[in-house]
Amino acid sequence: MNKNWPVLVVLLVCCITAQAQDSYFFINWDVNTPLTNKEWIGNTSTRGAKIGFRKFVGSDSRYALGVDVNWAYFQEYKPRETFQTPGGAITTDYYNDLFQLAITAQGQYHFPVGNMKHVFPYAGIGIGANRNDFTVSYNVYQDEDYSWGFLARPEAGVLFRIGTRRKLGAMAGVHYDFSTAKSDNYNYKNFSSIGFQLGVMFMNW
Amino acid sequence: MKTKLFGTVLLVISTLWACQPERDPLKLYDELVVSTGYDDAIDFSSYSTYSIATDTIGFVSNRNPDDTILYHPDSEYPRPVLQRIESNLNQLGYIRVDKDQDPDWRINVYVVNDFNLFQEVYYPSYYYPSYYGYGYGYGSFYGYPYVNTYATNTGSLVIEILDLRNITPDNKIKVIWSAYAGDVYNTIDLIKQTEKAIDQSFVQSPYLSKHE
Repeated sequence: MNKNWPVLVVLLVCCITAQAQDSYFFINWDVNTPLTNKEWIGNTSTRGAKIGFRKFVGSDSRYALGVDVNWAYFQEYKPRETFQTPGGAITTDYYNDLFQLAITAQGQYHFPVGNMKHVFPYAGIGIGANRNDFTVSYNVYQDEDYSWGFLARPEAGVLFRIGTRRKLGAMAGVHYDFSTAKSDNYNYKNFSSIGFQLGVMFMNW
Repeated sequence: MKTKLFGTVLLVISTLWACQPERDPLKLYDELVVSTGYDDAIDFSSYSTYSIATDTIGFVSNRNPDDTILYHPDSEYPRPVLQRIESNLNQLGYIRVDKDQDPDWRINVYVVNDFNLFQEVYYPSYYYPSYYGYGYGYGSFYGYPYVNTYATNTGSLVIEILDLRNITPDNKIKVIWSAYAGDVYNTIDLIKQTEKAIDQSFVQSPYLSKHE
């Protein structure tokens, strides 16, 4: 997959959200730890990002709807080992890579806390689709597999507004991802992970 | 204004950081992948002798063989490779004999080279803006198609055991064991890693022994 596509996604989302009112756009650094099939990849990924847009609905600005696009690269180096095959064996060291791309529709509730001007705790859920790309690299050779699946993502976090006149804020959150994207080749019946996100938001309210 | 600038800088940094991490080429390319296969109907301990070339290995390529480091007349590659194979077979109890002494096995050793050339033709947009600013929306004088060329050069060392004891009536010889070690073109230390791969090919073939 083309490595420059994240930049295109960012530009697209910026264009769409630039003029929306009672809304915010955010970009987060997204750290994820896989919870399934950790023998294949168990390393925490720091190579992830989430870009999203929220639009408040209702008069009291407690509910918001929006869209998230996120991606994460998981990678793990496996030292040299021997695999028995029918009629032989193969010995190699190798890299396992998993690239995860997802798009979700999000709904969330903002809890009324304090004067509701600076701190906005929230909880929500996202539902969408994701694609997992599995790659095994050994020397100059590669085996690949990919799959699409349904994604569910409960999420909770908090928004911080930096000054009432400024349109800049910070946000942090945790999320759990469950995807039905599977790979029989690499023994994935589904894929789940837990993530922590931290970033900035640009507000239009 | 400051917020937009900050946001733009952050977006660029974030998206670049979140790109795919590169694999360490020193780890990836250094050690060769070793793959072996055998005929499980064969009792390898029932054979005793083999013959092998002294200083020549075969070469199969889809390109000009003069270009390869492995085929060069001054190449130092064949001799240590053949000696390593011989050393392993001797340790397993097999005896090297001359090819006219009726050996049980013939050891074939050769390199398969796969050279591929890819070319992509790029056609710049007809509405590409003029370099000097005026004429925006018109075809550029600099918009000629151009070609990008990519080359990959990969290869494997192949070792085969040919069963000379059971040649068929129509003179067919069966390969009863084979080992592939690759890639021999991108490894950091070719001879050292090849010797290591040869040792490994015998280690992962425990049925290949004259000893009980």
